[in-house]
Amino acid sequence: MEIEEKLALLNYKTDPEYAHITVNPSICETCPDHFCTFACPAKCYTLIEGKLNFKYEDCVECGTCDVACSHGSVKWTNPKDGHGIKYKFG
Amino acid sequence: MSEFDAIVVGAGPAGSSSAIKMASGGLNVLLVERGDPPGSKNVSGGILWGKDLSSIIPDWEKSAPLERYVERKVTSFLTHDSEIAIDFKTKKFQQDKTGYSVLRTRLDGYLARKAQQAGAMLVTGVTVDSLAMKDGKVVGVINEGETITSDVVILAEGPNPRVAISAGLREKPNDKTVAVGVKQVYKLPENVINDRFNLRGNAGFAGEYVISFLPNNVFAGGFLYTNKDTISVGVVINLETLRKDGKTHSFDIMEQFVQHPYIAPFLEGGQLQEYSAHFVYEGGYESLPKPYGNGYMMVGDTAGFSFSNGMILQGMNYAISSGILAGESAIEAKKDNDFSEVSLSRYWKKLEVSPAILDKKNFRGINSVVWSGLVHRTIPALLETSLQNMLYETGAPKKHLSQILLKSMSSTGVSSKDMMIQGYRLMRRM
Amino acid sequence: MVLEIIVMVKQVPDSQEVVIDPVTMNLNRSLTRNVTNRADENALEAALRLKDSVGANVTVVSMGPPQAETTMIECLARGADRAILASDRFFGGADTYPTGLTLAATISKIGKFDIIIAGEETSDSSTGHVGPGVAEFLDIDQVTYTSKVEYKDGYVIAERELEDGTEVVKVPTPVLVTVLLNSNVPRRQTLRRKIDAIRKGFEVWDHDRIGLQPEWVGVRGSPTIVRRMRPIKERERAAKKIELSAVGDLVKELYEKNVLKLEVDS
Repeated sequence: MEIEEKLALLNYKTDPEYAHITVNPSICETCPDHFCTFACPAKCYTLIEGKLNFKYEDCVECGTCDVACSHGSVKWTNPKDGHGIKYKFG
Repeated sequence: MSEFDAIVVGAGPAGSSSAIKMASGGLNVLLVERGDPPGSKNVSGGILWGKDLSSIIPDWEKSAPLERYVERKVTSFLTHDSEIAIDFKTKKFQQDKTGYSVLRTRLDGYLARKAQQAGAMLVTGVTVDSLAMKDGKVVGVINEGETITSDVVILAEGPNPRVAISAGLREKPNDKTVAVGVKQVYKLPENVINDRFNLRGNAGFAGEYVISFLPNNVFAGGFLYTNKDTISVGVVINLETLRKDGKTHSFDIMEQFVQHPYIAPFLEGGQLQEYSAHFVYEGGYESLPKPYGNGYMMVGDTAGFSFSNGMILQGMNYAISSGILAGESAIEAKKDNDFSEVSLSRYWKKLEVSPAILDKKNFRGINSVVWSGLVHRTIPALLETSLQNMLYETGAPKKHLSQILLKSMSSTGVSSKDMMIQGYRLMRRM
Repeated sequence: MVLEIIVMVKQVPDSQEVVIDPVTMNLNRSLTRNVTNRADENALEAALRLKDSVGANVTVVSMGPPQAETTMIECLARGADRAILASDRFFGGADTYPTGLTLAATISKIGKFDIIIAGEETSDSSTGHVGPGVAEFLDIDQVTYTSKVEYKDGYVIAERELEDGTEVVKVPTPVLVTVLLNSNVPRRQTLRRKIDAIRKGFEVWDHDRIGLQPEWVGVRGSPTIVRRMRPIKERERAAKKIELSAVGDLVKELYEKNVLKLEVDS
């Protein structure tokens, strides 16, 4: 099963205003490993034509990217106001 | 004067247990949870071990949303083609139910309601941004620029504790202190689960696996637990080896586990309900943060209370017990009206003689064994080769076990001296 | 004199979690959690923006079971001044007619109001009846499907999103306005407001308090009856990977299957 199908099962209350994770593109541009693209279990980080693409909307809030990125690009905070992932089983 | 006696950040098992304890002890408690409802941000593999809830909810075994009790406990090595397992079933589990499978959205909702019933004020869907500090003391929490004051703040944020980290009360997680847990929940009819796992009634299956078939030396463990009419299955991925490898995707490891020839049949026909991921705290005794200070205490995963020795994975029990101990300490501190570091050191004294700390201490260094090539590659390969040589009928004359072992060792590239040393270390640490 | 604004809200099953039980054909609510209807959050935000700009008293009104408590507290925590839940076992099983009646009667009981704001529709039944129904019961003007609401000197100036453009209307108060889903971004709840809301609490009004006869409301007052519900079978979708060179063939195929129509400019 593809990761996209798995994520489609999830319930998110997406915050249209506040991205709880941000990346610094100028750091990512020179990143030698892009380990985030391997570590993130929700595939929020992908390389498109060599450029890092990040979408916070699919985030399941595990925190892995914050540990994975050893170059200081990822800024991780908790979503606000009940936004983000809403697990049904957990 | 503070607005609350205590503010608890996070309504998981640790936070709610501590809120129940404090509110029942007459404290004025605010329990803040960013998820709405409680539990909607939380993931566990899913076995609640022990009876720690008994002291705060005497009838919990009747009233809590428990799925099944563990009657069959499997510890297993999975290689590419084989499974080598210890399958332990005992009627003793039926008499003394020491472990129950749970689903966190249900359990956490239940515990938060209990805290509310005990008199705590529960606020959900609101994120605590940071701690309010004054003269080196924690005096409350801050949300959207507004401070809510309390005599003591209990940090129960789980293994990714942003508030505690940003306040500098503990280190950021790293490759050594956390592993990535990825989990899937499948729906299957209750009777199918019973038949498939050879269970009756409320009995359940709990399996923990060493996943030794991953390419490129990535280390991961697996788990499979039965719930009433769902199955929780997942992997715990070691970040150090995933990083070193640099080619394997975390989500692919999950997929490879559920497709393994001896895992897939358990899940056949099941409908995938949920995909989730969460940190699993892995840090040892050495990396434990100091869990208290002026005006604050840390509980559960935030304080690093978890345990894994490869045979068993525990966390919720320590969350509950540390939450209760912190609650007890807050009640005592309130009597003295002293929430200073010296006063709250009573929490540490209680912890020191509790399993939360004792288990960490006694199993110092266990992680270097759990996440070692010996456990993840050598032993599974050795077992597989030996058993194959022993149990495969090829028509050739049979050999003694010692001969088989020696031959298997040479074919898997381990010297007998190495094996002895490493094996001894393993036994000592486990 | 401060503007009196009423906001009508409803607690609904989370639309992302709604499952129809294949056996009973009923809504399987066992796994479904309740949330505030999203368009109603936009309605509340529209009211709070008026409060910010011209000053107003915002009262939230809802009809529902006691579990709607979380919605009432949430609205107070976002900035509403008062919350009233019309809740009574007689209100159960209501279709949109007695729902509108109950809400209109509740609003009348509150007394003076200038603007009533509601979401365009709820995600659990999507009729869009209740807002307009309340306006009819109260015999006031209504402006539906708005994306922006302003107030000036006794008039509401609202932008309506129409298929072919935007219509700006100016209506004297009292008036009822329905607000489009996602027409604004609701402000956050704050911990301070939420604590205050829990302490202050909300009001629960029963049929007696509102002044309604039991036979006028709930299932007895409902002219419609739901005979049967059935889930719509999901259509099989054939996923096809298309090479760029084959786009021409695809267009041809779609044209032949009447999916695309050819229009020739004369």
